Amino acid sequence: MNPIWRVVYRFYRVFSGLGHWAQRRFTRAGWMVLASLFVTTIMGLDTENMVAYQGFSLLLVLLLLAFACSRVFRMNFSVVRSLPRFGTAGQPFTYRASVRNLSAKVQSDLMLLEDLADPRPAFPDWLAAQLALEKTVRSLRLSRQQRFNPFKLATLKDALIPPIPPQQEVEVQVEVTPFRRGVLRFKGVTLARADPFGLFRALAGIRAAQTTVVLPRRYPLPPIALPGVMKYQEGGVALASNVGQSEEFVALRDYRRGDPLRHIHWRSWAKTGKPIVKEFEDEFFVRHALVLDTFSDQPYSEAFEEAVSVAASFACTIQTQESLLDLLFVGADAYCFTAGRGLAHADQMLEILASVRVCSEKPFETLENLVLNHAGVVSGCVCVLLAWDEPRRNFVKKLKAVGVPVLVTVVVPAAPAKPFEPGPMRDEPDSFHTLVVGQIEQGLSRL
Amino acid sequence: MKTPPFLLAAALLFWGWQTGFLIEGAIMAVALESSRFIKARWELSDDDFARIWTFCTLLTLAALVFAFANNAGPANFSKLFENPNFTAERVAGNSSALTAIALIRWLPMIFFLFMAAQAFSPREGIPLETISLILWRRRKKARKAGRPLPPSRNVNVSYPYFVTCLFAASGHAAEDNSFFWGLSALLAWALWSQRSRRFGLIVWAAALGLAILSGYFGQRGIGRLARLAEEYNPQWLSRFIGERTDPKESRTEIGHIGRMKLSGKIVIRLEPENGATVPTYLREASYRIYESQVWHAGSSRKDFTGIAETPFDSGKWPLLPNQTNSATVNIACYLNGINQQDRNREGLLPLPLDCGRLENLPAYVLQKNSAGAVLAEGPGLVIFDADYGSGSTMDSPPNTGASFITNEDLAVPEREKPALDEVISGLNVTGKSDEAKLLAVSGFFNRNFKYSLWQDIPRATGTNETALGRFLLHTRSGHCEYFATATVLLLRELHIPARYAVGYAVHEGSGRKYVVRLRDAHAWCLVWNQKAGVWQNFDTTPGSWVAEEGERASPLQFFSDFWSWIQFQFAKFRWGESRVQQYVLWVLVPVLGLLLYLIIFRSNRRRHRRKPGEVLETGNWPGLDSEFYRLEQKLVERGLSRQPGEPLSAWLQRVVDDPDWAGLSEPLQDLLRLHYRYRFDPQGLNRAEREVLRREVATCLANKKR
Repeated sequence: MNPIWRVVYRFYRVFSGLGHWAQRRFTRAGWMVLASLFVTTIMGLDTENMVAYQGFSLLLVLLLLAFACSRVFRMNFSVVRSLPRFGTAGQPFTYRASVRNLSAKVQSDLMLLEDLADPRPAFPDWLAAQLALEKTVRSLRLSRQQRFNPFKLATLKDALIPPIPPQQEVEVQVEVTPFRRGVLRFKGVTLARADPFGLFRALAGIRAAQTTVVLPRRYPLPPIALPGVMKYQEGGVALASNVGQSEEFVALRDYRRGDPLRHIHWRSWAKTGKPIVKEFEDEFFVRHALVLDTFSDQPYSEAFEEAVSVAASFACTIQTQESLLDLLFVGADAYCFTAGRGLAHADQMLEILASVRVCSEKPFETLENLVLNHAGVVSGCVCVLLAWDEPRRNFVKKLKAVGVPVLVTVVVPAAPAKPFEPGPMRDEPDSFHTLVVGQIEQGLSRL
Repeated sequence: MKTPPFLLAAALLFWGWQTGFLIEGAIMAVALESSRFIKARWELSDDDFARIWTFCTLLTLAALVFAFANNAGPANFSKLFENPNFTAERVAGNSSALTAIALIRWLPMIFFLFMAAQAFSPREGIPLETISLILWRRRKKARKAGRPLPPSRNVNVSYPYFVTCLFAASGHAAEDNSFFWGLSALLAWALWSQRSRRFGLIVWAAALGLAILSGYFGQRGIGRLARLAEEYNPQWLSRFIGERTDPKESRTEIGHIGRMKLSGKIVIRLEPENGATVPTYLREASYRIYESQVWHAGSSRKDFTGIAETPFDSGKWPLLPNQTNSATVNIACYLNGINQQDRNREGLLPLPLDCGRLENLPAYVLQKNSAGAVLAEGPGLVIFDADYGSGSTMDSPPNTGASFITNEDLAVPEREKPALDEVISGLNVTGKSDEAKLLAVSGFFNRNFKYSLWQDIPRATGTNETALGRFLLHTRSGHCEYFATATVLLLRELHIPARYAVGYAVHEGSGRKYVVRLRDAHAWCLVWNQKAGVWQNFDTTPGSWVAEEGERASPLQFFSDFWSWIQFQFAKFRWGESRVQQYVLWVLVPVLGLLLYLIIFRSNRRRHRRKPGEVLETGNWPGLDSEFYRLEQKLVERGLSRQPGEPLSAWLQRVVDDPDWAGLSEPLQDLLRLHYRYRFDPQGLNRAEREVLRREVATCLANKKR
């Protein structure tokens, strides 16, 4: 590894930290004074032809005084947040925070700032992102892709707090705009007080740790007729109350503890004098699996994020009466959400998707083996892939060979020069789709 | 953030006062603040704002080019590229600084239109995309790709404009503290609305007072520090400043080793008039005291006296009154210096020695000193007629300087005397006449010396031998400064008053005209003719110097001459020596006017007058030309007026209840449907349907007329 990366990383940490500090400390008027100070510093060098140095002197003193005022601020307070459990990437949401003034005097003209956990990555993660980025940058060319900060989770608007009488409490609304999925960790709350000129803020903070999960962005999906045939499901009726074909009476048997009351056959109980219950045939229904490809050498690519969003869109949309999507294959892991009753698995799937990361250590074949092992219980398969190369084509081919119908969506960062060769999907062109980053919604509407 | 009322007007007035644009500032202030009283607004779209921004940016570029040209930027930078050295770098840097200052001073005027666009538009701010090229491109790409547009952010530009006015107001030299106090007052005004309400008025005022007081002493400290730095080493700095001839001193290259670099750039153009011969020497200045390779003006240093233009504004400047001049030469030369007081161009005029009068000279101020230097203040290029040939000179006679030093024209440094005496002893001129002495000196240089631009590294001799002594006794080869200095000192040692003159030698013809290049810069000796009572040129530099310097001319001199000619024509245009400037300005006015017209009154622009509680005007709404309105009007004329708030369909229902219109129920409903679609359907009507609407209404009206 080139040691210069360490130095660059140091710079990154120092400058991003400095930027964060300045953003919290300076008000808008303060930024303007700071920018003016910078300009007058340059203009003021020519003391012979310009008097900008006089402005420099005045602005510098103003900022120094404002800074000095920020040294003398102490405040005793407590905060309780009412955070929602989930948010969605790209969708602003608000929550309430109750601020109690524990001091003995009225506190006015304060701002509430949230302290999020430091989003700056550790060196290995940062390096991986930079190296991946380097591969995409062509020398002496302007990148066509819009750069985005893969580490910044969210922005929070500073909230103005109304005057708080002593020992009283007020409520403020805080607006959060999450940028990407993941766990949003709140570390504490800071109250900011501007100096008399309104340029520089003094801060007083307390710890108040909380988290909220930012789910992946979802897109609306048109009604999809997923391919698949009914299969015998071992889970039986406990699986779901409204999925599959139930109520197929088979026989009567003695009551066992835990049997539902509505299965008691009252007439037989009356005849025999002991509780008898009806027994039903096990379920046959369409069961789909969602396969998300996480095998990429780009740890923070936009295409991957969009692939997660597409998977999330499938996960929360396909809850029809006719089919069930309860198997999730992500990277090298398989998740099944049919252990309990009901259909709460969509939330769980989204939670899994919210924290999924790129897998660059293992080959794509890991996923292939995992899915093929479960092929026996799967009626159909929705695959969200990051490329359409040989291993992925083989995977789809094998799935089709064992009789699993497949719906393939390939998420790519830019439209390919010529459309992908469908390969094993040639016979079902309607089940093979290429989605381009930036036009995902349009692409999904054509499903 | 929006500025408080009248803050911008105050800032503009302050800017006008500080920079001398008070009238412009007042007009702009009134125009901006009138938006508070005038309710008329222009509905400018994002594209309009982008267009205005582009206009302002182009105006900035044009102003930059103009300011750069106005501050001799092209000339100074071409000098820097031709001969990169510290002096050229400094001069070019100076040009850049002056350009920047001029541009900064004009900024409020340049961006006024942008500010006014915001003030007179119904919006509170200007879309950030119009200013940021990156955001604009991002938006354009999204629109092109059919993706949802990124959210637009509006910025209120009033505070940035306010700050710009303050920056612009600082574009002048410190004369008093008015800028500081004005700035403090305006900042206090601006900060008042931003203050923290947590603190009382007294705390705020006390903190501000403290800041202003500290700032005041701080700026005084900075000013003093800067002056201290300037005064600390002016002598050191002066070594590097100015290629132009300094009337106070001339630093020679005597004693420097290696080859002198010579530029072929044309600096003067001459044209003798009425068949006169061209003067051989054009003198810029002469000096009296030699000390350590530097010639000083001595007592002439501070005796510049003004020359009156007679009659006033006639362009005629008499240098030697009551003299008859026999010849006239037209001279075009550049004034390359900047007057530190009034920032005008200034420079020494290259004139024939016996020049008695200048005509058609567009100078603002003309001064001369007792050593014959004529200092002009005026445009960057001057073209004038010099009348000469009277035989007399304006230089003061020897030993009559205004200073207490009375032997300046005979002074010889002690260090140089041994070498000079050794030479004189070999001349055998003791007791001979001045003419004989001059002849001997001239012969001495002609016989024993040769011209050379190259100086070897001297061998260490272990004596106190000076560079001039080495030239006289050993090397016997050098350039004109050696010859001129040695001649002046030799003549003085022989008790003949002499002075050191610098200027140009004229020898290169160009058709009927003559050109003088930078490499024709020359130094020679002025010797006092006791009998005639005048100073005369006395040049001992071997005549081969012209040929030798010419040999080193670049083979691409043709291009360089062509470039010089373009620069000359441009300078003529710029400094008003040609009439093209007037025509260009007249061409620019309608072009700019047209551009402004397009921005403000484009055909699809609509002026909107806002009144309290007013419903939006419906000027350009689609479907307003629907023929259905004619029908409606007709019905109203027949007394079937529509009630306020009554839908058209209900009204038509009421109309067909009228026996006169009873049979028209269906056609009217069809027409109404078409009318509604024409008005409100985003797809509108196709051509055929539009025609149906038109025709059916006409039919209805025709039927009812009958």
